[in-house]
Amino acid sequence: MAGYQSVNPNHEGDQHLIAAAHHILKLLGAIRNLSDDTRKLLADLDIHLSIMTGNTINNGGEAIEVEKRLKCAERMVLRWQANQSMIWDTGPGEVSEFLGAIDEVQTLIDSFSGVSVNENGRVRELLYRANNIVQVAMLRLQEELIHILVHHKLYFEPEYVSFHSCRADVIYDESFVSLEDESVEASQRVSNTGSVSGEYIVDLIHPQVVPDLKAIANAMIAANYDQEFCAAFIGARQDALNEYFFVILELEKFSIDDVLKMKWSTLSSEIKKWNWAMKIIIRVYLASEKQLCNKILGGFDTVCSLCFVEIAKATFLCLLNFGEAVAMGSTQPEKLFCLLDMYEVLDDLLLEIDSLLFEEAGSYIRIEFHELLRKLGHSARQAFQELQKAIAADSSMKPLPRGGIHPLTRYVMNYIKTLTIYDDTLNLLFEDQNTEDTHSIVESETEQDISPITFCPLACHLRSITSALECSLVVKSRLYREDSLRHIFLMNNIHYVVQKIKGSDLRIFFGDEWIRKHIGKFQQHATSYQRATWCSVLSFLRDDGHCSNSVLKTSYKERCREFTNAFEDVYKIQIQWCITDPQLKEDLRISTSLKVIHAYRTFIGRNRISDKHIKYTVDDLEKLLLDFFEGTWRTLRNSRRR
Amino acid sequence: MPATDYQGSFLGRISIRRNQVMSMEGNHEQELEDLELFQKHVADRFAELAPPSPSQPSDDIPSDPILSIAWIRKLLDVFLCCDAEFKAILIMGRDPSQISKPPLDRLIPEMLDRDVKALDICNAITNGIEAVRHYQKLAEIAVSALEQRPFGDGQVKRARKALTSLITAMACEDKDGANYTRTWSFGRRGAAAAGNNKSTGQLRSLSWSVSKNWSAAKQIHAMSANLVAPRGTEASGLALPVYIMSTILLFVMWTMVATIPCQERSGLATHFPVPKQLVWAQSIIGLHEKIAEEWKKKEKKGSAGLLEEMQKLDKLGQSLIEFTDSFQFPAEDERAEEVSAHLAELGETCRRMEEGLVPLQVQIREVFHRIVRSRAEFLDVLDLNGKSSALAM
Repeated sequence: MAGYQSVNPNHEGDQHLIAAAHHILKLLGAIRNLSDDTRKLLADLDIHLSIMTGNTINNGGEAIEVEKRLKCAERMVLRWQANQSMIWDTGPGEVSEFLGAIDEVQTLIDSFSGVSVNENGRVRELLYRANNIVQVAMLRLQEELIHILVHHKLYFEPEYVSFHSCRADVIYDESFVSLEDESVEASQRVSNTGSVSGEYIVDLIHPQVVPDLKAIANAMIAANYDQEFCAAFIGARQDALNEYFFVILELEKFSIDDVLKMKWSTLSSEIKKWNWAMKIIIRVYLASEKQLCNKILGGFDTVCSLCFVEIAKATFLCLLNFGEAVAMGSTQPEKLFCLLDMYEVLDDLLLEIDSLLFEEAGSYIRIEFHELLRKLGHSARQAFQELQKAIAADSSMKPLPRGGIHPLTRYVMNYIKTLTIYDDTLNLLFEDQNTEDTHSIVESETEQDISPITFCPLACHLRSITSALECSLVVKSRLYREDSLRHIFLMNNIHYVVQKIKGSDLRIFFGDEWIRKHIGKFQQHATSYQRATWCSVLSFLRDDGHCSNSVLKTSYKERCREFTNAFEDVYKIQIQWCITDPQLKEDLRISTSLKVIHAYRTFIGRNRISDKHIKYTVDDLEKLLLDFFEGTWRTLRNSRRR
Repeated sequence: MPATDYQGSFLGRISIRRNQVMSMEGNHEQELEDLELFQKHVADRFAELAPPSPSQPSDDIPSDPILSIAWIRKLLDVFLCCDAEFKAILIMGRDPSQISKPPLDRLIPEMLDRDVKALDICNAITNGIEAVRHYQKLAEIAVSALEQRPFGDGQVKRARKALTSLITAMACEDKDGANYTRTWSFGRRGAAAAGNNKSTGQLRSLSWSVSKNWSAAKQIHAMSANLVAPRGTEASGLALPVYIMSTILLFVMWTMVATIPCQERSGLATHFPVPKQLVWAQSIIGLHEKIAEEWKKKEKKGSAGLLEEMQKLDKLGQSLIEFTDSFQFPAEDERAEEVSAHLAELGETCRRMEEGLVPLQVQIREVFHRIVRSRAEFLDVLDLNGKSSALAM
């Protein structure tokens, strides 16, 4: 239609041409079996030709034709003014009639554009009237638009399963300390690799009405009512998004002040919600919103990207600000997993965010998300360092009773075991840091069959954590008054560390050499224990063979009694001590048994000590040794006295 | 941008400071000089923001009217400059242990708490600017409709509708405690359609810009509650710059809350807890009095927000509505001329908003990040102190 405008029939030749065209049109119009569309097209052309020749509209039959058509369209539009029902609810016939009327008026307006209205009072009057019809029709279209948007919106109901399972696990919070060896990681990764992945475009508006919305958009934009269209469209879609956010997903907005003051348990559950919401809102909802904008506003690129950014902006900023608040907060080690989860979720979504906010309008939000990722990484590194500090700073003044496994050991080992799930991310985060100092911990491992993982930044950091733990354990062991218990404690704890590493993915990070060395360490403590406890006890049974027979006889009896007393003393104390690992306990008992029983049997056999002087038979002793390290408070007399 | 102009001066001073690290304790005189300079810079910068007095009209460059978008952007620049200089004085080249000594051990955490509140205000304001952008769009519809030639009933109706929405939106925004809601549901059917949806009402109350029950007025109150001017010997020590910077932060946030729509600002305090005799604060106090007066007027009249451009939209919008009410076809020439002058002004206001609002939003984000960074730097220093004192034990 724009083509008509440039023609200005000044020359006589043009006039002739137009007259000829008129003639052809008349002939064509006489053909009987024309479709309605074609007939309308011909009529349009006729009017254009009339207007182009300038003055014919004043007096010719065409002016009457234009007025007639305008009147017809006006009737069509005004008919709905008094009608309470919505056009799009009434039926497709009414819709196309209404849109047809708008199109008609628009065509007439466009065709006037070449005419100087000041000179032509009749045209001016028609134009006023046409504009008025457009105004009424556009107002109506806006109402229809909102009606359709409100009544045909759809919501994608997310799967709550993954979230709830994720919500139920307590691995992040304080109870971590007491957590033993449950399948910590199994439940945890569900949230990361969960159901929402890949392309997930859903219908946010019933697909049936999308063509209607597109028709309204086309009509409004063609009439230069794009601003009104945008206001209504953005408003309605923003409300839909708000409803989704607050009502369907049951999310809440928090001020930064709120987040910083939040209790850890609340914060950790809000962080999980954020991770979940990020994936659903960005990957599914907003991607679908963008698609919807494209479907309705395809072809109007500027309007389309503007609408999308305006709809999504507040939600993007809300998600962003929660992340900012978390990254601003303190970095206690417990937070590391949450921070890593957030980091991974955001890292995973960054490409999608980039493509959603590709255009200039949203670029600053896009940059902010990149910046947030950097901040989360920084916080995660800090939380990791806090762990090391926390290990060093853990200074309980009381020794752990019974020499068992210290809660710190459990905590640290479970903690770093969980860390290996995040190995890629952590390696990435540690890569830009200077790790040279931690390399030395690997020591002289130059064998060729060592996995490269053993030398990755995370492996170095993990080894430095366990060595901080070892130092801390040595300090703690000094709190025991008995040397034996000190060794039991260290043996227990180092054994626990080794078992944890051997039985998990940690194994490749630490390497076989490290494991061999540490097996040696706890075995050394076992040997030291035996020496510390049993050397003095067994010294009573030692044969020195220098004394005379009679002296020896009493002395043997005496030594046997003294041995029995010493054994009982050891028994009373050491049955209370604790070796939690059954295998380790068994091993230590056997080697102790070998030593003690052998010495006792030899002593009794060689010195022929009569039964009345012997409190415990060899068998008794063997049985008694089975009570060791059970962590019980049993008294000797009740159970074992014969 | 003035931000960069000031940069040179204090960066130079920072490098000097670095060389002085060792002799810090003994360099009390240098410190006094620095504080003196800081106060002078603060006074100078805010003096530049003051509206020109009528006695000496500035003839060469027309300055940006107070509370206009351009003026607020200058105010934020001043804030960024002062903050940079403040940190140069308090952190750089200083023995961190000085910060953990009384009275700073109490004043700095208080300041950090104020920082957090300021961050939320920044977010609320960012959201409020969205509302202002919406007003701008409505005004633009009116301008483009009334600028059309030939100009008849259709355009007048279109403009009238946009202007009515504009005036209602601006009034509503203030009445509803600035819980910004878009007035997109034009007309009876649209409104009915939205009303039919039962969650819509509930939604309005849920779409808080910051969080439920958050109130800008309360945050401002909390920020000023423990702000007390240092007295006695403290008045010449490091407590002073902390006080100055906190006052600036409070003033900047208060001004933004008073100017730009944001969540729950009714009951915004108009009292400014700064002793009048402080030399560096003269300009700030002057500005504060002026804005507080405007705010009181606004509260009494219930007129639109204090933002200069919004006031313009309100005034011109009202007058154009009057015109559209009395409009009869064809328009008289005399009347048309008067309208076209108003229209031109409205168009110019829209243009200024179009140019200024998004950059203002970006700048508020810059302020946001600056506050986050400054807070982190102070926390680092405090953390460092915590460790060194632990080692000492």
